Amino acid sequence: MYKELSVQQKMWLTFRRNRPALIGAVFTILIMLIAIFAPWIAPHDPLVQDPAIRLEGMTSDHRLGTDDFGRDVLSRIIHGSRVSLVIGLASVLLGMVAGTMMGMIAGYYRGKVETLIMRGVDVMMCFPDLILAIVITAVLGANLVNLVITLGLVMMPRFARLAHGQLLSLTESEYVLAARAIGFHVPRILGRHIFPNIFGELFVAATLWVGVAIRLEANLAFVGLGISPPTPTWGNMIREGVDVMINAPWISIYSGLAILITILAFNMLGDGLRDIADPKLRGV
Amino acid sequence: MLNYIIRRILQSIPILFVVLTLVFVFVRVLPGDPAVAALGDYASKEAVQALREKLGLDVSLWVQYFRFLGNLFKGDLGTSLITGYPVAKQVIRVLPYTLELTVCAILFGYILGIPLGISAAVRRNSFIDYFNRVFSLLGLSVPAFYLGILLMYLFSIKLMWFPVVGGGDLSDPLDNLRHLFLPGLTLGLIMTAYITRMTRSSLLEILQDDYVRTARSKGITDRRVLYKHALRNALIPIVALGGLYAVVLIGSSVMVEIVFSRPGLGSLMVGAIKQRDYNTLQSVMVIYAGMVVVINLMTDLIYGLVDPRIKYK
Amino acid sequence: MKKRLIAIVFIFVLALFFTSATNVLAAAKLAKKQVLTIAFDAGDSKSFDPHRSATTVDRSTVDTIFNGLVRYPPGNQVKPEPDIAKSWTISKDKKVWTFKLRKDVFFHPFPGQSDGYKLTSEDVVYSLKRASDSKHSAYAGEYKGVSFSAPDAYTVVITLENPMSGTLFLAKFASYAGGFIVSKKALEAKGDDWFKIHPVGTGPFMFKSYAPREKTVLVRNPKYFRGASVLEKLVIRYMPSVSSRELGLRTGELDIIEGQNEEKWVDKISQLPGIKVQAFGPCETQMVHLNMTKKPFDNLKVRQAVAYAISRGEVAAFMGSSLAVPIYSSAMAPPAAGALTKKEAKKAGVLFEGNIKKAKALLAEAGFPNGFKAEVIISELATSYRKPMVGIQAQLKKAGIDITLKVVDHSAFHSLIRDDASPMVLYACWRPNADVFLSRFYHSDSVVVSGKKPDTNFSHYGTVDADGDGKVDSIDDLIEKARLELDTNKQSAMWRKAQIQLLKHAAVVPIIRLKYAFPMKSYVDLGHPLVFSWSTYSPQITEKTRILAH
Repeated sequence: MYKELSVQQKMWLTFRRNRPALIGAVFTILIMLIAIFAPWIAPHDPLVQDPAIRLEGMTSDHRLGTDDFGRDVLSRIIHGSRVSLVIGLASVLLGMVAGTMMGMIAGYYRGKVETLIMRGVDVMMCFPDLILAIVITAVLGANLVNLVITLGLVMMPRFARLAHGQLLSLTESEYVLAARAIGFHVPRILGRHIFPNIFGELFVAATLWVGVAIRLEANLAFVGLGISPPTPTWGNMIREGVDVMINAPWISIYSGLAILITILAFNMLGDGLRDIADPKLRGV
Repeated sequence: MLNYIIRRILQSIPILFVVLTLVFVFVRVLPGDPAVAALGDYASKEAVQALREKLGLDVSLWVQYFRFLGNLFKGDLGTSLITGYPVAKQVIRVLPYTLELTVCAILFGYILGIPLGISAAVRRNSFIDYFNRVFSLLGLSVPAFYLGILLMYLFSIKLMWFPVVGGGDLSDPLDNLRHLFLPGLTLGLIMTAYITRMTRSSLLEILQDDYVRTARSKGITDRRVLYKHALRNALIPIVALGGLYAVVLIGSSVMVEIVFSRPGLGSLMVGAIKQRDYNTLQSVMVIYAGMVVVINLMTDLIYGLVDPRIKYK
Repeated sequence: MKKRLIAIVFIFVLALFFTSATNVLAAAKLAKKQVLTIAFDAGDSKSFDPHRSATTVDRSTVDTIFNGLVRYPPGNQVKPEPDIAKSWTISKDKKVWTFKLRKDVFFHPFPGQSDGYKLTSEDVVYSLKRASDSKHSAYAGEYKGVSFSAPDAYTVVITLENPMSGTLFLAKFASYAGGFIVSKKALEAKGDDWFKIHPVGTGPFMFKSYAPREKTVLVRNPKYFRGASVLEKLVIRYMPSVSSRELGLRTGELDIIEGQNEEKWVDKISQLPGIKVQAFGPCETQMVHLNMTKKPFDNLKVRQAVAYAISRGEVAAFMGSSLAVPIYSSAMAPPAAGALTKKEAKKAGVLFEGNIKKAKALLAEAGFPNGFKAEVIISELATSYRKPMVGIQAQLKKAGIDITLKVVDHSAFHSLIRDDASPMVLYACWRPNADVFLSRFYHSDSVVVSGKKPDTNFSHYGTVDADGDGKVDSIDDLIEKARLELDTNKQSAMWRKAQIQLLKHAAVVPIIRLKYAFPMKSYVDLGHPLVFSWSTYSPQITEKTRILAH
């Protein structure tokens, strides 16, 4: 006889068997560690300039060469992980909190509230992500906080729709009806009874959308709406690297690779999580 | 059906109205002054003020707002605040470039992505499947501008196969295609990644379904099951979500247009932001929003056509 | 044996002769297709109306379409020479200038005048009056107190309220900015808005078509008074990405590109086969203006500390010494007349060469032993603004001055600094002469926002007490006196005196003069030397420019 496995154990097993997810998780954690310990890992100060060694190729001292201010590219890439991760994670968190609340309220109250909120979401979804992000950043100006707000705003309608859709199927469910009948307050019903049920789905989406947010930030930086210098960010580095591609192609190529790997890690992780969360595909 | 279409169109009118207002507000709160942008660094304050009056920027925002709406309903997009060139003419000139790029990418994506997705789903966990998954994950993750830069350096610099300047001559199809190839490939590869992935997962899901299992158990050969039953059902989400990805693609096309310095709506928009060209910017944003609304509407309708289960209430 | 040797030598010499002879022939041979494509670092044109155009690309475009009364010789713009005017005389009191016009100058055809028409004094007077009117011109300020008349069809008389030296006067009537002569008939028939995108002038090239954000096509003017151009077509492309321009030059889609003013990049691209690069000047001065009304920059010691903390040599090194030279003058830079040289600055004790220790000591004296923080707005344009500012930012940091940069796009930058939003303004430009430079940057009338004619006086010089003696410091008198001074030596001396005062008060920190680099295909022959060019910031394309066989 086989021993019955608990749901958690089953999930863990699926996750472990899902090699891409595992790789994604390992890389995500690794990149986060790099971001946290950047000053200790980076071989040089990413801001120190030296006109004598501008645009030099790979040397033993500068493994990935130097940029047009003579700054160490490897150290800048390592430090650049901080901005990308902070913006990616914070904006998705912001979008998730705000969007989920909007979606839950809309889905719970229905009627006019729903129409108002969801039409608002429709309006925002009328613009492609990048176009909305470009215009909002141009209005607010680019700095860390504003970029988090901008991308949070862009992410918000996505979460609102997701939460709203989930809620529609849940509000009619027995335990919510029961909770209502007992006379629980709305925040309590939403927070204690509904949210835990939709959190899984939201979390999976959030993992995937961190990648989207990081990519949007890089796009903004590339069109010149990134964080101000001298702070190293990957998007800025690609943009500046393209101007000196003829002298130092490595600057753009390696910083682009850093973005690619990071987004890839989040996508692999998110994919794996979704496979686990989706019972239909579990064990496939 | 017709009723449904009419209702959907009516529904999108208030949304579009709010979009218009939003666009107007966005554009006006941009820091900077189009008159300064137009005159450059040498101009004196007097000259700037004179131009502001001429451009109609000195009147109250309400007046500007109603002028904007009024002109829009008359079909008049106004003229560029910077060059004085009619915005409608500008848009009509660049729109074909953006459309050909998007259409090319979507076609590329479907033509390459569906077979790839099927082959992966059919031979699950084989080398092909593995390759496809890596490929589509890469395609989902790579920023379009980065892929564009890599392709440009490979094909244009190292191999010198393709031109890099502009969008080519629309009246000369060959020249136009040569210019379209690299940007089209960049977006097409990304689109392929989306379609491959979607085809694979929706096909896998259907292959798990009871009726396919029944069909198989009845002894119908795999191939027939695949094409007759599974594929037809799998196509529904592919078509439906294709519309969604087309919206994503419109966003990415902005970057590709910039990387390849192609004329198009995207470069028009970014340029208008830089020059504080309110008229051009608001028109381009309205067009983008309109495109998304139309795509969504079309997706819904196509969805209905392929899936007879959906009824239009 | 000997005979054979002679024969071999003979054959060798003959062969050499023939190859060199064919080379010479080939060099003179022209390519069949005389179409030149030049790409600029610009998103779009802003205006082809010469009285409004101000960007590098637009100045370069209108330069080929229009003429002035006089012009500076292409590529070596030092001394004015006749253009539309064939000669001129000056009254004794230097107030009345009489210009005799050429009789073979034709305007380009335009709708309603399909053959063009002959230019007369009527057009010149109309054009100059238009340039003096702020409703139609961005350069109206240049023509205050000047009146124009036309005694006959080919004579133009310009009368000044106050006498002015020849250098200052002719600069206003050269083929540059307000000095360009536009067609009266075209403007009267079609209006400003039409003219802005359909320029009608007298130059070697005529406007053909304009595709927004993409290109402008100009064609040969067969009736050009100096003779029809060799080029049949001139295509001006708007390409803001340097890598795209560079690729286009390599593939041969572009013939001349606006380069990056950066030595290493120039070195690399000049090594490519079939490409030559000519750097030329004077191009632009970069200076940091310090707002004396904003704390802590109201303190002279703080400003001097900033001046000491900045290392010009290092900023120049980021661009490369073949393109960037450190400057010590607060109005223009050598070789311009009256600009302070390093020697003169040193003699006057206003050198402020990079010295972090001194900067820190001054900061401590001023009451900022631990430095201070400031937010500075800067344009995103790389070599003229962003790059030097990032360099300066790192230098100031060493002295304890912590600068946060707010990078904005170029047009936002220009409006923000004119709204007094930045305590420190890095400004890159070149002006026709020291008078224009001093008036616009340091005259009290030009103070941003609050001046009588708000302009680009970012330091607020002339309205504040700069040295703490309780009196307002100003150079207004010196500027105005120098303007009326007819002796150029005395004039230069006054300009230098004004500059020394500005530097003493550290209202401005001069940084570098940056030359420009325009890589081009080796088969492009500009038809003139490229030595000194300030009016277009780009190599000028003239009727003599041609494409050699390749």
